Amino acid sequence: MNKRILIISADNLGIGIDQVPYQHFEYLKYPVLVGEKEYRESETYSASWLLERFVKEKITAKSSSLSRAEMTDLIEKNVNNYDLIIQVVMGSNMSAATFNIAEEVKEKFKDLIPVINIDSRQVVGGTGAVLLRLIDIIKTTDDDETIKKQAGELVTNTFSYYVTPDLNYLNRGGRIGKAKALLGSVLRVLPVIGLMGDDPEGLIIPVGQGRTFKQVNSLIINSIREKMNEKKAEVITVAIISGDESKRDAIDDLKREFEGSIPCKNLIYGKLHLVEAIYMGPGGYSVSVCMK
Amino acid sequence: MQQKIAEIKIAFDNISKYFWRHKEYVNRLNVFPVPDGDTGLNIALTIQGALANTPDNLPDNILPGEFLKLISDNMLLNSRGCSGVILSLFFEGMTEVLENNDFSRENLLKAIENGCITAYNGTENPREGTMLTLMSELKMKYSEIITTKVNPLELIIDCIPHLKETLDKTPDMLPILKQAGVVDSGGAGFLILLEGLEREFNSRKTPETLPLSVALKINSVLKDLLVKRYLRKKRSDTGTLVQSLGAGNISNTRLHNIVHNVQQYLKNRTHNHNNKYPTREALKKDTKEFESSWNPDIRYRYCTELTVSSDKDIDSQALKEQIINYGDSLIISGRGNTYKIHIHTNKPDSVIKNIYLFGNIILRKVDDMKKQHRNFISYDSIEYEKEQSVFCIVSGEGFKKILQSLGADYVYDYGKRKPSVKKLVDLLNSLKSKNIIAAPDDGDILMSLKYAASLCKANVFIVESKNAISLISLLMGKTNEINKTNFLFRDRINNIKHFMISKSAKESSVDGVAVKKGDFFVIYNGKIFLSEKTLKDVAAEAINKLLNDESIITVYKGLHVKGNNLAAGLKNKFPGLEFEEYYGGQTQYHYYITLE
Repeated sequence: MNKRILIISADNLGIGIDQVPYQHFEYLKYPVLVGEKEYRESETYSASWLLERFVKEKITAKSSSLSRAEMTDLIEKNVNNYDLIIQVVMGSNMSAATFNIAEEVKEKFKDLIPVINIDSRQVVGGTGAVLLRLIDIIKTTDDDETIKKQAGELVTNTFSYYVTPDLNYLNRGGRIGKAKALLGSVLRVLPVIGLMGDDPEGLIIPVGQGRTFKQVNSLIINSIREKMNEKKAEVITVAIISGDESKRDAIDDLKREFEGSIPCKNLIYGKLHLVEAIYMGPGGYSVSVCMK
Repeated sequence: MQQKIAEIKIAFDNISKYFWRHKEYVNRLNVFPVPDGDTGLNIALTIQGALANTPDNLPDNILPGEFLKLISDNMLLNSRGCSGVILSLFFEGMTEVLENNDFSRENLLKAIENGCITAYNGTENPREGTMLTLMSELKMKYSEIITTKVNPLELIIDCIPHLKETLDKTPDMLPILKQAGVVDSGGAGFLILLEGLEREFNSRKTPETLPLSVALKINSVLKDLLVKRYLRKKRSDTGTLVQSLGAGNISNTRLHNIVHNVQQYLKNRTHNHNNKYPTREALKKDTKEFESSWNPDIRYRYCTELTVSSDKDIDSQALKEQIINYGDSLIISGRGNTYKIHIHTNKPDSVIKNIYLFGNIILRKVDDMKKQHRNFISYDSIEYEKEQSVFCIVSGEGFKKILQSLGADYVYDYGKRKPSVKKLVDLLNSLKSKNIIAAPDDGDILMSLKYAASLCKANVFIVESKNAISLISLLMGKTNEINKTNFLFRDRINNIKHFMISKSAKESSVDGVAVKKGDFFVIYNGKIFLSEKTLKDVAAEAINKLLNDESIITVYKGLHVKGNNLAAGLKNKFPGLEFEEYYGGQTQYHYYITLE
């Protein structure tokens, strides 16, 4: 690789920043609003901090789009040190504002440095999976067009499955999409929702529902297998499992089932950031897989 | 090159959109080989499927011929119905030739010729008067005028007037078309696609036609007038209305003639003319024939479409031999390890079983054509608003709410009185759904549901569920499994381990278990499992015996249970388990209890 490439993303990857194996990586932090007060991810204000407050204090929180000024500053700071900047952004249908800001910033710097914005069509681990595979790609090529094309293939071959015990957290954020059908069950159920990279609409869809963690974990594994058959994929290139640590048993069970039945080159046990706690809600966890 | 590919894509997209606007016209024409009533939709979805599945990120160096081949491959895989498959085969044959990127008028002729060969060879019992005839005529006319223009697309456009004439002649080639007063729907669809192509160059007018349902209603009014009302001495208002109908606006030639003749008949009677026009009996016969022409004997009832895929190449000849005797209208298309099969049959399950011998079935669709036809011709035809609905029939307000919240489209709570066939027919029709998955909570309802299913206007897929828990089980699991096309939902009803508790009204000994009057007993797997004096004891004993690795016990309370929190009592006995209690409202049992 001759070009110096900087990758920018945000704290919405389903993995810790230290789990990103790329030296030239920068990230922005999503603002989280609890009442009128704004928080950013830190040692104090973490996902577990917010999830605990959700349960104990019944607070409501919402996320905001990334700051245009911060994104501009970050690029300005690096513009002379690199030949190409790639931004891996959460799905534009999940946050149109963030993707629009990324596009505006790209336009602003167009005479100074090429910027590629990748609409991951994902959140949490899905965005992380696209990022990790992108890092693999730029090890083999630094051609802008090839990167764009291959990144497009990554996006359409990345699939996420979320267990969200309380869908109201997602509903309040206006991101529930087609999974609305799973809302309001009289029985206590565990809804499984998904983001399918091959869906151009990029909306959250209902995958299914179960009563126990064992049931929904099996449901997720079956869904991944079904998707692999459909895509004729023999192996998962990267998978990220992350979630609310209070549901460690359920997450470990999913990890065991996954390891036991899905061929995967790189299974990563990730972590949630502050903003991701808003999407997942208490007890939520997810697995994202890339098949390319 | 990217520019050219983009232009081709836009052209296909515009033609597809143009066809969508005309698909209802084609749907209304459909009478051959049987009245599926969805030829227009099938063609539209075939093209749309091809475009939707063509990837955006294509190699930079892809040439137009290769791109067209890619679209044709996707078209074949996404084709639906006879017409969709024949169209795909024609395009597949064409693109096999055009893959060499020679777009001269001479090579296009070769392409059309190869398209015809592929379409005819791929169709079981090819018949004239169909889309195939128009394809063949296109080849003939194009060949005839090939020297008149340089641009091959303009040559195709110049063939359109001849193809219109050919389409108008299709009723002379197929008696059923003549009887119905329509041209062939597949042929009309093919022509509309060519007109869409022409529209890329020019503009065109939208053809107008009388909706078939309206035509049938007009005919029924005429028949009614001739059979009943004209017998009355007082002059009929309907007669006045019929006389004022503008027959010139009715494009269906057969109906046009009937209206005209009835008007003449009415006029003759009013003015006391004599015998110049058909008699009332002759006109009655005409209206009956017009009606019955839309009710042909459907020999094979189920339009079955399947896509089979295997790890190794499939022997298409062996596949054909395996299923050819199950029906007619057989079309097998595809290549290598993936094939698409279309057949009209009375035994879809047998066809499916036989096809499993060749690989996994990745897509399947079974449509009951009699049902569709019955709705199509009836006076109170239903405008379907949904493709599919899940309909549950249950006793208990609590279960009604639970099932609704789990995603059932409609839940009928019948309380103590099981629904009649008529009630079920009304409910099924009120859903305005083309396909309905219907599931009762009692085996005793199955018979009437089956009969109602035969009388209603939807395709009904009955789940032989026998209690409320199996309905919950049906709605749990993967969302996409609740789908008539894969039938997986039928296996889901037994997924939840459960038992029922009731109180004995008399002393008895059944299934080797003695039950005293007033005791509580457990029914598990259709048999009496055990009995005890108290409710709590009988429930605890059953849980104890049936528990394996389950973690959640759910208690559904019946209508007649008062002030008893069974779940709380059981929690004390089984502290390691999670208990939940809901109101089911069932009349038959005191409790349903599930172990998950």
